[in-house]
Order: sequence, then structure tokens, then C-alpha cells
Amino acid sequence: MLEIQGLHKSFGGLQAVRDVGFSVKEGEIVGLIGPNGAGKTTVMNLISGAFKADRGSIRFLGEEIGGLPSNKICHRGISRTYQIPKPFYAMTALGSVTVSVINGGHRPNMSLFDASFEASYYLEFVGLFAKRDTLARDLNLYELRMLELARALATTPKLLLLDEAMAGLNPGEASQALEMIWSAQEQFGITILWIEHVMKVIMAAAQRIVVLQHGQKLLEGTPQEVINDERVIEAYLGGRHVVH
Amino acid sequence: MVKIEFKRDRIIGRWRDLKYEYIIEPRYWRNPWLGILLLVALPLIIFHYPAYLTMFTTANLLAAITIPLGLQLIGTARVNFGPQLYLGIGGYTAALLNLHLGWPPFFTLLATIVVCASISLILSPITWIAKGLYFSLITLILPLAFLDLTFIYGDLFRGEVGLVGMSPLFDLGRVTWNYVSYYYLSLALMLFYLLVADKIGRSRYGVTLAAINEDEDVARMMGVNVSRNKVFYYVFPSVLIGIVGWFIVHTFRTFAGVTYLPLDYMLKILIIILIGGRAYSYGAIWGAYFVAILEEIITPLGPVNYVVFPVVLVAAIVLLPRGEGLFGLYHKRHHRDYFPQLKVRRN
Repeated sequence: MLEIQGLHKSFGGLQAVRDVGFSVKEGEIVGLIGPNGAGKTTVMNLISGAFKADRGSIRFLGEEIGGLPSNKICHRGISRTYQIPKPFYAMTALGSVTVSVINGGHRPNMSLFDASFEASYYLEFVGLFAKRDTLARDLNLYELRMLELARALATTPKLLLLDEAMAGLNPGEASQALEMIWSAQEQFGITILWIEHVMKVIMAAAQRIVVLQHGQKLLEGTPQEVINDERVIEAYLGGRHVVH
Repeated sequence: MVKIEFKRDRIIGRWRDLKYEYIIEPRYWRNPWLGILLLVALPLIIFHYPAYLTMFTTANLLAAITIPLGLQLIGTARVNFGPQLYLGIGGYTAALLNLHLGWPPFFTLLATIVVCASISLILSPITWIAKGLYFSLITLILPLAFLDLTFIYGDLFRGEVGLVGMSPLFDLGRVTWNYVSYYYLSLALMLFYLLVADKIGRSRYGVTLAAINEDEDVARMMGVNVSRNKVFYYVFPSVLIGIVGWFIVHTFRTFAGVTYLPLDYMLKILIIILIGGRAYSYGAIWGAYFVAILEEIITPLGPVNYVVFPVVLVAAIVLLPRGEGLFGLYHKRHHRDYFPQLKVRRN
């Protein structure tokens, strides 16, 4: 579904991403992990069109999408959430999701009423229907994360990019959010590329893990292979924690 | 048989199985219709006072500039400090074509639309390129640069004197009738702009507009074609403002850049936005009438407007800090209504 090859991105003198390549198959949940500054979010920004790659190729469903603007990438079926939620603070939950419904897919003649009706469905799905008329600025972190998920799902994506969806959530909320993501994958048949720092969650959720370090791909494998790899332990905890 | 019931907060009328409720509290009244009725009836009261008719015509035109500006501010997600540029372009286009080539008002209107659309389309990439303060500065400078041009090419634009003697839209034979007809035409123009802004605000395009104003990067991620929207919401209001320039040319029959292009004129528009509330198209009418009446009051006092208008502006900023204006204090706003933030300094 998604094939990335030889991806490079620099910011001034800093090489944020160097020769990164991996693929995501349809229906998979792929984890993208790595220590802080490894280039995970940059890769996500490159896939979603927020940044333009210096070199390399990003192919989605056989079509090159590198360099396309974000809205066109969204229309091709890639949607994302943010590490730090970016809601429309002065808009209600329903209004925010309605924007996605109207603009995300090809719905040229959909009325505002119909779009709001469809947006209600996504809010119901993530458990925010009761808060549909609440301004985003009045929602708590968990609700904001769910709103981001609803907003992303409302664009009817084929591939969902999740950027640290569990950050800042307590264990109860995290497990609820995980259930929600699994349920979304099952119900909407989406593929997920997921950046996560909460290892317990990503190891349980993902079928495959890609590890980045210093902007380069360190390793790719099943969660079990990744968790036992010395290089990964060294990258996260330092060399002295590696048991030889 | 019609039954009337008087309740504490409402009057209920019943006829057969029909029920009509009229809420007594003024802020629940059907404000637009009452307001329009009042404005339509106004000339009946001031029929014999051409000065007042001119004042209210000016108020309608000020509102007709501010209503599209509101669309532009939200649609481009940037604060434009120079909407009067298109007033000048529209006005001079109509005046020059009418005076030098003898084009009738209908053709000058078409030319105004084409010229304003073309120039705004050429300038529209600044809505993508210039961010935050830079956009505001560019828009602030453009009308002043155009004003300089009217002096540099004084032979054409007639500098400080301006262009005079353009043909009127129509002549009813009596001066008073002409004033009344121009008042109604300006009212019709303003109400048409109000209708357009209101329809856009309540449609699917209004929701998209709000998303762009909130965060254009996120809106883009959600599939909004931000660039196309920005161009449209820069060009379309610019054309509407240009048409106001055309209207001034063919009603007042005089047009001088020195009246409409300097910062003083923008100051009035800023006061209208602050008094009327930044998000309310209807509030623009309140603000415009406030400014027109204030101007009429202070004009006999000499050039005090250079002091009074800035003082009113600062007072409005200090005393109406929430940006809802006087209209916002009166208007019952639902919690879920979208109320935009207008920030000069944006990413």
C-alpha cells in the first residue's frame, strides 16, 4: 500500500531523515518507534505532505505522492493525527468533524446538514456525541485525541497516520483509546502507521515495527524481534543496559 | 377565531391548529427583518433633509465595504489593513472610463468587476506568501502607494481635486428624489452583500472558511484546498468592494483618491469592525451607522476627526476587549456559534 524508498530530509545543516525506506501492507498496523529526535514525526510529515522530501520516493497505492500538497494526499486516502492535538479551538466538536466530512472525500454536493449528520456518526463512534456542541477548547486531552481520531476517520482514509496517540493519557484512557483504534481498523478497514512511545501499547498493537535512530532506519521486524534486539535497547536505554 | 395569550416572556397567537409565538425580550426579536424595515422606512422620516439622506447613504456604503472585508479576513486568515485599495481601483476605473470614453454606468460596472478581479487575482498570491504581520503591512502600503500614483499622474487622476462630473446612475428630475433613490440603491447593495455573506457563513463553505481561519495547515490535512479558497476569498470581496467604488462614482459623481485611500478611511472601517463585532455581518451595519453619524456630528467642529476617530478606536479596543463589539453585547450568541479570532501575527 505504502512504499517509501531512500527518503531524505534536511533542515539547514541538520539531516532529520537519511535514506529511510520501508513499506506498509494493506490491513496492517505498523509501528514507527525510536528515541526522541529519531525523525519519526518528520517521516510522518513527509508522508502527509506537510514537508517536501529532498530526495526519495513515497508511493501510495502505486502512485507517487511525494511533493503533493496535503489536501491532495488526503483525497488519495491518507489522514493523520497530531502528537500535540491541533483542534480548531473556537469550533465545536461537530463543526470540526464536519469540515473533514465535507472536504476529506469527494462529496461535492453534500449539504451542511447531511455533512453534520455524517459527522455525528464519527463522533458517536469515538464516544464524543454528547460533546458535539462543546467547543474544542473546553475538551480534555483524551477527548481532544478522540476528536482528532474522529476528524481523521471522517476523511474516509485508507491509511491512517497516528502520531503518539497515547501521549499524556492515563492507563485507563490509553486502554480505551487502544480499543477505539482497533475497533476503527476493524470497522473501517483501514491500515495504520503508528508512531508511539508507549512500548507496551505499540508492541501489543502492531504486527510490524520500524525502528529509527538519528534519522536512519535501524531495524524492521516483528515486535518480538525488535524488543530483543541489542541495537534497540542500546538506542533507547544506552549501551550499559545491553545484556550480552 | 384567533386566540391571544399573554405570557410572562411571550405572546402566543393561535388560529385553528396554527400557533405563533412572539418573544417579548428585544434580543430575541426577529432582528434582521425589523432592522431592514426600519432602514426602508427611514427616508419617510428624513425625506426633506438631503444631508441626512447622504449621511445614511454613506453609512450603507461603509457597511457594504465592511461586510465583504469580514469574509476576506476569515477566508484568507489574515488581517487586511487596506481594503480601500479596491474601492480606489473600482472608483477610478468607472470614473475614467465614463469621463474619457463616455461609457455608460452599466459598462463601467462590468469594467470595474473585470479590473478589480484581475488586479486582485494578480495580487492574491500574497495570501500564500506573506504571513502574519507582513501581509498586514503589504495591504496597508498598497492603498498609500496607489494614492501616490494619483498625485504622480495628476493629469489623469486629477490628484487632490479628483474626478468630477461623471454621469449619474439615473436622474429622476428632482434632487430630493435622486437622494432618496440613491439611499435605496445603497441599501439594496448593502443588503445584497449581507445576504451573500450570511448565506456563505451558514453553508458548507462557511464551515470550511472557519477551519482555514483556525489553522490552515490542519485544514489542508483535512482535505481543504486552502490555496484556492484563499484566492477566492481575496478576489471575491475585493470585487464587491470595487463595486462600492463604482457606486460612489455614479451617485456622488465625484471621486478623489485622497478621500478614500488614506489611512483615515481605514480607521473608520476598523472602528466599524470593532463596534459591530468582528464576526457579525449584521454588526457591520451598526458600526457603519455609528461612524457615519459620529462623522456628521464632528464635521462642524473642524478637523477634530484626526483626534476623535483614533480616540474612539482606542476606546473600542479597551472597552470592548472580547471583540464582540456593541452588537455582540446586544446579540444573544449561542455557545456553539463560531466566533473567529483575528490575529495579525500568525504563522
